[in-house]
Amino acid sequence: MLAVEALTVAYGGLTALAEVSLSVGAGQFVSIVGPNGAGKTTLFKAISGTVRPRGGRIRFEDRDLLAVAPSQRAHFGIAHVPEGRQVFAGMTVLENLEMGAYPQSGRQGWARNLERIFALFPILAERRGQAAGTLSGGEQQMLAIGRGIASSPRLLMLDEPSMGLAPVVADLIFERIGELHRDGLTILLVEQRVAEAVQSCDFGYVLETGRVVLEGTHDTLLADDRIRSVYLGM
Amino acid sequence: MSMPARRTLYAPLIAIAAIAAVWIGLGLIVTNSYYQLMLTLVPIWAVMGLSWNLLSGYTGLVSFGHAAFFGLGAYTVTIALVNYDITPWLGIPLGMAVGTAAGVVIGYPTFRLRGHYFALSMLAYPMALLYVFVWLGYQEVSLPMKREAPAYYMQFSDYRVYIALAVALLVVALLISLAVERSRFGLSLLAIKQNEPAAEAAGIDTLAWKMRAIMLSGALAAAAGGLYAVVQLLVTPDSVFGMLTSAQALIVALFGGVGTLWGPLIGSAILIPLSETLQANLGDKIPGIQGVVYGLAIILVVLLAPEGIFWRVRDWLRRPRVAGLGPVNPIAPPIAAAVPEATPTQRRPILTVSDLSKSFGGLRAVANATFEVGDGEILGIIGPNGAGKTTLFNLLNGFLKPDAGTVAFAGRELVGLKPNRICRLGIGRTFQVVRAFARLSVHDNVVVGAYASTASDADAVAAANAALAQVGLLGRSGAIAGALTNKELRLMELARALAGQPRLLLMDEPLAGLASHEIEDMLEVIRALAAQGTTVVIIEHTMRAMVRLAERFIVLDHGAILAVGRPGEIVNEASVIEAYLGKKWAAIRARG
Amino acid sequence: MTPFGTFVEIFLQALLAGILIGAIYGLMCLGLGIIFGVMRVINFAQGEFLMLGMYFTFYLVVSFNALWFLGPSLGPYVGALIAGPALFVVGYVLHKWLIARVTGFSVVGTEGEGHYAQLILTLGIALVLQNGGLILFGSTPQSVRTPLSSRAWEIPLLYNPDASLFLNKARVVAALVSIVVAVALYWLINRSRLGKTLRAAADNASAAVYMGIDVDRAYRIAFGLGIGITAIAGGLVATYNPFQPYIGFDFVIIMYAGVVLGGMGSILGAFWGGMTIGLVQQLSTLVLPTQLQNAAIFVVFLLVVMVRPQGLFGRATERM
Repeated sequence: MLAVEALTVAYGGLTALAEVSLSVGAGQFVSIVGPNGAGKTTLFKAISGTVRPRGGRIRFEDRDLLAVAPSQRAHFGIAHVPEGRQVFAGMTVLENLEMGAYPQSGRQGWARNLERIFALFPILAERRGQAAGTLSGGEQQMLAIGRGIASSPRLLMLDEPSMGLAPVVADLIFERIGELHRDGLTILLVEQRVAEAVQSCDFGYVLETGRVVLEGTHDTLLADDRIRSVYLGM
Repeated sequence: MSMPARRTLYAPLIAIAAIAAVWIGLGLIVTNSYYQLMLTLVPIWAVMGLSWNLLSGYTGLVSFGHAAFFGLGAYTVTIALVNYDITPWLGIPLGMAVGTAAGVVIGYPTFRLRGHYFALSMLAYPMALLYVFVWLGYQEVSLPMKREAPAYYMQFSDYRVYIALAVALLVVALLISLAVERSRFGLSLLAIKQNEPAAEAAGIDTLAWKMRAIMLSGALAAAAGGLYAVVQLLVTPDSVFGMLTSAQALIVALFGGVGTLWGPLIGSAILIPLSETLQANLGDKIPGIQGVVYGLAIILVVLLAPEGIFWRVRDWLRRPRVAGLGPVNPIAPPIAAAVPEATPTQRRPILTVSDLSKSFGGLRAVANATFEVGDGEILGIIGPNGAGKTTLFNLLNGFLKPDAGTVAFAGRELVGLKPNRICRLGIGRTFQVVRAFARLSVHDNVVVGAYASTASDADAVAAANAALAQVGLLGRSGAIAGALTNKELRLMELARALAGQPRLLLMDEPLAGLASHEIEDMLEVIRALAAQGTTVVIIEHTMRAMVRLAERFIVLDHGAILAVGRPGEIVNEASVIEAYLGKKWAAIRARG
Repeated sequence: MTPFGTFVEIFLQALLAGILIGAIYGLMCLGLGIIFGVMRVINFAQGEFLMLGMYFTFYLVVSFNALWFLGPSLGPYVGALIAGPALFVVGYVLHKWLIARVTGFSVVGTEGEGHYAQLILTLGIALVLQNGGLILFGSTPQSVRTPLSSRAWEIPLLYNPDASLFLNKARVVAALVSIVVAVALYWLINRSRLGKTLRAAADNASAAVYMGIDVDRAYRIAFGLGIGITAIAGGLVATYNPFQPYIGFDFVIIMYAGVVLGGMGSILGAFWGGMTIGLVQQLSTLVLPTQLQNAAIFVVFLLVVMVRPQGLFGRATERM
């Protein structure tokens, strides 16, 4: 479904990603883990088009993504839930979801999607008229995910959904992501907290300073002690 | 601006002298009174542009209201002459005093504002003054002809004297600008423009420098206005306080180039003759055509050279030379030092933090943090993203005020002090994202940091050189910061912090974006610092490096201190593994 | 009549005048407020677009008498409304060809250097429009006369049969049209899909891109919309105020003061900012000489900015 080939991104003098290749098959749950500064967010931005790569290719369902404008990519069925949530702070919860439903597919499935979002995160239904900026961090994360689902995506990209959240809330979020996957959604997850990310994935990649240092299935990753050394240095 | 180490003043001084000579020469040749007027107006508007540049060009705080100073200067000269029979020879200095005072009155409240708010608030001052002067009955004031003693009243039948006066004022303005640009004054202003918080953290009292800048700027604009009144012999509120006067200052500076003394001069020398010639040749046939052409010229130049002509030309001239800089000076290997052996308990605490807390809205970013930093140790602060590490630094160096708790540094309480005070007490800081002054040389970048610890500019240069040597960047000190590699930028930022001669250095992710061999070099530099007695507190995610660098770790999670100890102990601590890899890690691993 | 009674009468008269003029100021500020709120662009040429709105109305209604069938009372107002879409197109195209080259996605959120080019560009556009206007329209002051401008409604004061307030009909109608347009815009911004798209682009441009919103197009539309709204206000001002091509600078300052008072970035706050200016301007005549009424605007403006930098009607969360 998504294929990234030899992607290289550099800002000024520093190389954020060096020849990174990965692929996500339809219906898969793929996790990318790695410590801060590994280039995970840059990878997502390159896929969404807010960062222009220096080399490599990104294909989504036989389309060359690098050949289309960033704003077009959401219309192909890619939903990007960005790091730090980035909800539209001055707009209400419902308006945020409406913006998520901006692509044609989102408008067609609006009623169904809204029902699904509110079923996943009932608190959003309660707060639907409230400005998103006044929500708590966990609620904002739920809204950001809901906003992603509102476009009826075929690929949901989640960037550090647990960042800055209390463990209980993070657990809930991961549970919901698992549900979405079980319902058939393809998921690409970037996460710092390895356990949750590796636990639920079909396939995973470990990034360190812009390179893939380890890749493999759920079991391979768990068996490999390199993950711990990537994070803790010894 | 990037001549090696010490920049000589000869070249600009010769250039200023040459410009003055050419201008006077032109004044002697030209007899047509119309061109004579133009030769007078160009320097006057150049001075106005220089005045604007002094405040807005160097600090980045855009002023839309420089007509306030210009108008006050013009009216001071006029009213002094008309009502009190005071000669413009005194009137202009008087006007400059008024301009300086206006700078204080305007600057003090307005500097609390930033960005667009500052820019638009400045708009209001000349507008309010305009209507006040109309109300006072100064709609149209002519300067009376003084036949008995014309020279005493700055009135000359030979127009060339006015040209000479205008050139003299221009030379003064250029020299002032040069002096500012080449001293800690200008570098401090540039630092403010680049990043005001970082400048504060480097020990620069930003408000004080901004106040000096607006006072000087006000004086220069008032002088330009005063001379303008003398030359035009007629002052109206619209002509001196009007929107167009403010716009003109902005336009000549932006057109010619911002943040350099040559910019306003270039802008004025091109635009004023262009506008006046168009006015003279086409103005009566098609009224308005000169404005259209003038406007189109401005639009065209902005599209082609958004930062002004000077920078575009300079970048164009520099390009081949930058490419051919020759071999990059290898970084001198710093003296390798053994990892300090002293244990934390043996060290005297230099920094004592007790019960420090800070919340944003409902989020507790730092919660009851209590720890000590030993004199001379390397302390690593680690923890997952969003754990509150940078917030902790911001509390320590005064960017943020804690909700509760105390911070004692060498026995002194820091809470409540401004960042520039804390810096001067001996706490330096580097940032996650390097804030280089891209157009300045490496040397000048570091000199800015040296101002905190030195009284004279010569001492600052010496401290900067010492700091550059310390990080092994002395060989690159002439290079423009914008041309550095990421690693060199990191080292330069470190040198900037060291130039303030800190006893304690807070480093925020100094290894971000470095390749592994570069990390080794950086580690050597940091170890050498510690060996020489500087205490280092470092936030870093690159754990492979951190376990080899730090003596002790403090682990933060959700704003609270999770664990303190030696690296070997910390990485095996269950709670730390949980914070990093998730609490289920051990369980899953056991299962898998 | 008692001195107090006279004062009340004068006060009420000034208050009404302030509200009437404030409604029109509010509308023109709204135009600038959209541009600033969505794109953070300081557009110095906004006053010139106001001027173009005036001349558009003038040529449509007076010179070509294209709206003769509406009669002399209705024609000028319809003409002013038509100026909106006409100038929208001008703004849209101008943004696409010129403004977008120095502003846009990459410049959002930067202060200082990134804004220099945009400032001087809009100053250049202002000069071209102003002087181009002089060439095309001439320097003779024009006006769009309506028979309403010489008529007034007389409102008797209940407490005193001898005193009454006079409301110029032209100004009342202009104020009403302003309010209707402002309400329509309020609906557009808050309720319509287009309006929400603009707000999303203003709120968080990169998140908007992730939603599939073409942010650059949103900016173009916002620019055109802001220009169009201000042009309508221009057409309305033209019905009671003579104008010439240089009139823009007089109003651009009022507009900026209004936008700042309303709280920069709060699009609809700009309307109340403009209203405040109208009220300050008219009420200040009670205590200050007429020449100082504009000085009073700027003094109040400065006071408000110093005390409440987020504006009178802005949210405190807005960045300073």
